[in-house]
Amino acid sequence: MKIGTVLRPVLVLLLLALVLRPQWFAPLFAPLAPSGGPVIYERASLLSLSLSHLALVAAASAAATVVAVTLAILVTRPAGAAFRPLSRTITNMGQTFPPVAVLALAVPALGFGAGPTLVALFLYGLLPIFENAVTGLTTLPPATMEAARGIGLNRWQRLWRVELPLALPVTLTGIRLSVVIALGTATIGSTVAARTLGEVIIAGLLTNNTAFVLQGGLAVGLFAVLIYDAMVQIERRLAKRMGG
Amino acid sequence: MIEIDSITKTYGPTKAVDAVSMTVETGTITVIVGTSGSGKTTLLRMINRLEEPTSGEVRINGESTLSVKPHILRRRIGYAIQGHGLFPHHTVARNIGAVPQLLNWPKDKISARVDQLLELFSMDPAEFRDRYPAELSGGQQQRVGVARALASRPDLLLMDEPFGALDPIIRTRAQEDLRHIQQRLGSTIMLVTHDMEEAIRLGDRVAVMDGGKLVQYASPAEIIARPATDFVADMVGDVERPLRLLSLIPLSDIVEEGPAEGAPLSADASLREALSACLWSGRSAVPIERDGTPLGRVTFEAIRARAEMQA
Repeated sequence: MKIGTVLRPVLVLLLLALVLRPQWFAPLFAPLAPSGGPVIYERASLLSLSLSHLALVAAASAAATVVAVTLAILVTRPAGAAFRPLSRTITNMGQTFPPVAVLALAVPALGFGAGPTLVALFLYGLLPIFENAVTGLTTLPPATMEAARGIGLNRWQRLWRVELPLALPVTLTGIRLSVVIALGTATIGSTVAARTLGEVIIAGLLTNNTAFVLQGGLAVGLFAVLIYDAMVQIERRLAKRMGG
Repeated sequence: MIEIDSITKTYGPTKAVDAVSMTVETGTITVIVGTSGSGKTTLLRMINRLEEPTSGEVRINGESTLSVKPHILRRRIGYAIQGHGLFPHHTVARNIGAVPQLLNWPKDKISARVDQLLELFSMDPAEFRDRYPAELSGGQQQRVGVARALASRPDLLLMDEPFGALDPIIRTRAQEDLRHIQQRLGSTIMLVTHDMEEAIRLGDRVAVMDGGKLVQYASPAEIIARPATDFVADMVGDVERPLRLLSLIPLSDIVEEGPAEGAPLSADASLREALSACLWSGRSAVPIERDGTPLGRVTFEAIRARAEMQA
């Protein structure tokens, strides 16, 4: 806890500097760049790449959350219980399919750019959210559910006022896993011309420029760590309120 | 008045509740007692239609419970259960105000009602209103659970083993509180328990269930003095019978003139307590008082005579 309070602002500042003022790091990265080659990636601003990277992850995760949670709600209703194995298989397949393969398959259909990456991230993100939402919705405290019915909440009211809020902390854990996976996986989207921080890494790999690879990798890594941490804080706060 | 009219619930070939009929007067506590599997909980849950009866019907003040949608019906019937079932993500105030809110009461009326109920259960509204259930003790959670069930002034309050999760000392207090609150509000309560002691202490009428059938429905004194079947006698407990009887009679019934030594008892205390005091301190009589003024005494002999008279 103590380490976190010190480390968190340090990492945020480091990330901001890396994205907004990459030139500052030129002396640090210089030994890693090929002699005479560029040290700092300047073909696009790191800020705009970061924003586009985050937007891609946010859009894919939001879509995955909506679909996975809706699916979880459906299969945890008495009428939908029969579909639980099927939907589990489908979301599992999304996870088994390597994102690179999805990219390759999606390019002919969607063309180059952000489209295929969105599809890959969306499919890859479904499983953790779905599994956690199902767990959350099936492990609700029985006395609370009985009381909710007993005092006269109808199905919708039970879902919105009791079941979803109580399943929220567990569902959030799934969303967090999915977001962090997507943050890393989004980098390979740049192989099909999506604008992400992966562009910097790939440029570095193509020109044998370790400085580029490190810049891109460090920025993605810091985003992942900080977003993960922020979501853990939110979950902790929610869980505490609900009787932790 | 609640009329239960030959209500039956079958699960496959087994009859969980078998043609039970009973009438509950408004403003009384009726305790349904039985062993597990006797159908007592199923009977209770059929009243607010958490279980749909296979046949038969329930009428509340003459109106059949089948004439409205179940969730609308349940908003008119309070429901408190073992382990309270509070919403852990809502504050105490929101928990208590849950049903009035469903009934679209105006906000200020709900918050006034919440404060009123918290005060009734001796919980300071300013202190407890904004707490979450996890921040309360077991006894407080249970009181909030009952307060929630009473919030909309329901026609009827159903309680399923409401004190089951409490330790013995808190349970006794909770039972006394329930009695006082019931007398103050004039509520009609139906309560399920497996504990005959609780049934006798709380009930104006006691219904004993066995194997899905209502085997006896009578006043506590009647149940103890004249158990209808061996099962009822077993539930009452042969050895305990005289003591249970004495626990129903207040000292004011047999108080007489005369001196007695030692610490006085209140006139509202039961003969059982007086007997216990006699035995424990080796006295043959205990002084009785009401609100500090001496009324007289109750003798060991008088208690014995009274116990014999009942048998």
